[in-house]
Amino acid sequence: MSLLQKRKAPETKPKPGGNLAESDRIVLNVIKSKKEMAIWAKDLKLETKLPDPIFNKCLKNLLASGLVKEVAHVQFKGRKHYISAEFEPSKEITGGSWYADGELDKAFIDNLQDICKKIIQKLKVATADEVYDFFIKNRVVKTECTSQQISEILKSMVLDNKIIDVKSTGLGEYHSIPIGKICYRCPAGDLGQGLTGVMQSIPCGVCPRIRQCTPDGLISPSTCVYYTKWLDF
Amino acid sequence: MYSKTLTPKRLKPFPLFFHPFLSSPSRIAQQSFIPPTAVGSTAGVPPPPLLLVAVDHSQETPNMVSPHGIKLAVHLISSAFSDVVSKVCECLLRKGTLSLAQVLRYTELSKQLVTNALLVLIQHNCVQAFTIEQPGGFLEESKIVTQYMALHDNIIHRLRSAKFLAIVSDEFGQECMEIFEGLVQHGRLSMNQMMDRHKEKHKALTTEENSSIANLVLENLNKLAQARYIERCPAHQPHIKKPKEDDTQTKKKTAKSKMADATQTMEAQALAAATLMDSIRFLVEADTNTNNAPDDDSKKNPTTEIIGEKRKHDCLEPGTGATNENKEVLWRVNFEEFVRRFRHKCLVSYVTTNMDSVVGIVLRAIFEASRKDETKVKMEKTVPLPMDTIYEEAMKSEEGRSLTLERVRDSLVQLGCEVPIIGIDETYSIDLKKIIDQAQAKEVESIVAKKYGREAYRMFRFLLQRQSLVDTDEISITTFVDKKDALKILFQLWKDDFLHMERLANEGQKSESLFWKLNKVSVWEQVLDDMYHTALNLKLRILHEHELAKDMLKGKNVGDEVKEKRKKFGDKWRVLDSSVFILDDAIMLFHDF
Repeated sequence: MSLLQKRKAPETKPKPGGNLAESDRIVLNVIKSKKEMAIWAKDLKLETKLPDPIFNKCLKNLLASGLVKEVAHVQFKGRKHYISAEFEPSKEITGGSWYADGELDKAFIDNLQDICKKIIQKLKVATADEVYDFFIKNRVVKTECTSQQISEILKSMVLDNKIIDVKSTGLGEYHSIPIGKICYRCPAGDLGQGLTGVMQSIPCGVCPRIRQCTPDGLISPSTCVYYTKWLDF
Repeated sequence: MYSKTLTPKRLKPFPLFFHPFLSSPSRIAQQSFIPPTAVGSTAGVPPPPLLLVAVDHSQETPNMVSPHGIKLAVHLISSAFSDVVSKVCECLLRKGTLSLAQVLRYTELSKQLVTNALLVLIQHNCVQAFTIEQPGGFLEESKIVTQYMALHDNIIHRLRSAKFLAIVSDEFGQECMEIFEGLVQHGRLSMNQMMDRHKEKHKALTTEENSSIANLVLENLNKLAQARYIERCPAHQPHIKKPKEDDTQTKKKTAKSKMADATQTMEAQALAAATLMDSIRFLVEADTNTNNAPDDDSKKNPTTEIIGEKRKHDCLEPGTGATNENKEVLWRVNFEEFVRRFRHKCLVSYVTTNMDSVVGIVLRAIFEASRKDETKVKMEKTVPLPMDTIYEEAMKSEEGRSLTLERVRDSLVQLGCEVPIIGIDETYSIDLKKIIDQAQAKEVESIVAKKYGREAYRMFRFLLQRQSLVDTDEISITTFVDKKDALKILFQLWKDDFLHMERLANEGQKSESLFWKLNKVSVWEQVLDDMYHTALNLKLRILHEHELAKDMLKGKNVGDEVKEKRKKFGDKWRVLDSSVFILDDAIMLFHDF
């Protein structure tokens, strides 16, 4: 047995010039057939129908030779996915431009949001294109970013209430912007931070047990621990 | 038996016309004859009128009130009146409009108790009576049955008494406030009763003659009526005609008009029929002492007449108006006007905070200028006003004096108006519903942010914008929330009934996608119910704190330790009470505006 293994070993080694072993070629072809969509190791094994030791060895060889690379899937972080070296992983795999190594690049996003806010504060009112132009002219960030990315960042900031979107009226501050075009501006006061709802200032308004709370029940306003804490001064 | 706030002496002369049965005892006998077993049975017995009530969920009927809205109302009634009154009130709120016989059947109380409870509730404007014609069975003639409906809104207005008083006091001073306070405490009062109250209150200070007291009360009553803070009580028992199916007139109606008719429930019809036309509703007459002698000329010599008012309801039933000359005119608080003022205040404050102070000034000016033309409280859009009128009105206020025409125009644009390209006939109308929607959304968003975090807040706002089914991936990408975290938050929101979820299986990829949608109507209803629940809890906690501090509050000469405890109790009470105060604003935002 040991002799056989020793003899087999050199055979599975990828030879320069693309002469792969038969098993390696099968694995590589399956991976290549998936193109930029990549393939999960378990699916790959099922499709190639190779025994475990040979399959693992083939994969190892292909990775070592650089013909195949491993990619992180944004949705299934625990699963190993493989892609042929000539393809770039698709948006579905990487999660798009905001993801780095399968993780949301929060630092990058926060950085861009801060810069965008400063630009809007400076310009007072600006369209997405104007903010992007400001980026390009002043080379604010080292990394490259597209106008699409800036547009997405601005939309997320609107959702976060850090800026507001308004339609240009063509009057006053909007004189340089065509009427009806969406532009962005900072809200009056700092709305993003000051969420001043009535309910959120009272324990019951955000109580996780409000549905179980009854006047004479186990959870009741007279026995409520949140109230006791609230009124403890 | 009567309200805790009522003094039997003063309220002894309940006018007989309050209660229909007191004037026709035979009708009581007829009605109470229906055996209790007849409820719900169909054999030989006409169905109880309750079943005849059309339940239309698009209208505000007692049946529409949320569960905690009912609980809060019952708590307010039980803390002000006896348990019997609250039991009868709860029965009406839960079961909907009922006849006396049905109330007796459901509450299992004696007729005298129920009658008295209904009298108290009517006196305090918490119940409205009306009559309907109930079809007779085999060989039986149809009969007129009096129905009682609980007015949930009016019960909840009891929470706001302090606000009403503050407005009247600020605007008209102490004397008007005292008259108004009487109406708040006693529900309905005649001018004679108001004079009695005045005499009793000031007997130590003054020895004024009756005529001067009458003049004083009349003068203040006038001011209040002119401002529409008080009104004559509505018709005590209007008759509602049910449309006959074989009526030839109905056949001629168009489909559209039929739909319009269908949306008006019996309760809405009764309220509409009971409301007096505006020219009478706010009419103060010099001689109101008409208990014994008919005074046909009194109407001809009004001291106040609001000119140019339109008749609100064209077909008031004859004899149902409260202006029957043989009877004393009763006055009550006009809640509608206060709600309107609160609505205006809320809108002005919202635009001032979220836009700027000039926008607030302009909106306030629009309200002032269009006040006379407002036909209902929940106006979706303001009456179109020419630019000049708005500008002139804005200039009347001190803050608006320095405004330029251009600045006013700019504010109108901020309020969502479009400037006409050609400057002829430049009129503006503000979409108030949009501003109310924004204010409501802001409140719900702040709840979501506090309860589920900032990321959930972004996702919620995104779904609120879209109002359609959205894929998890799209939500995650647009809001910059990690896909796994996004899914967790969405599930949490779904579990708490904020979202609706649908699964879509993809057999090819052996995966399934989840789609999410925000059901705004049901979420908003739930938030309102939670608000009622919160108000009830705050009220109960106040009672609990009072109970705990009962012994401590006794006695005058106490040590420092007790003083410290009393101070703490005072602080707790202030926090709880002010919370009810501000929470009530939010309840009005979701329910009354």
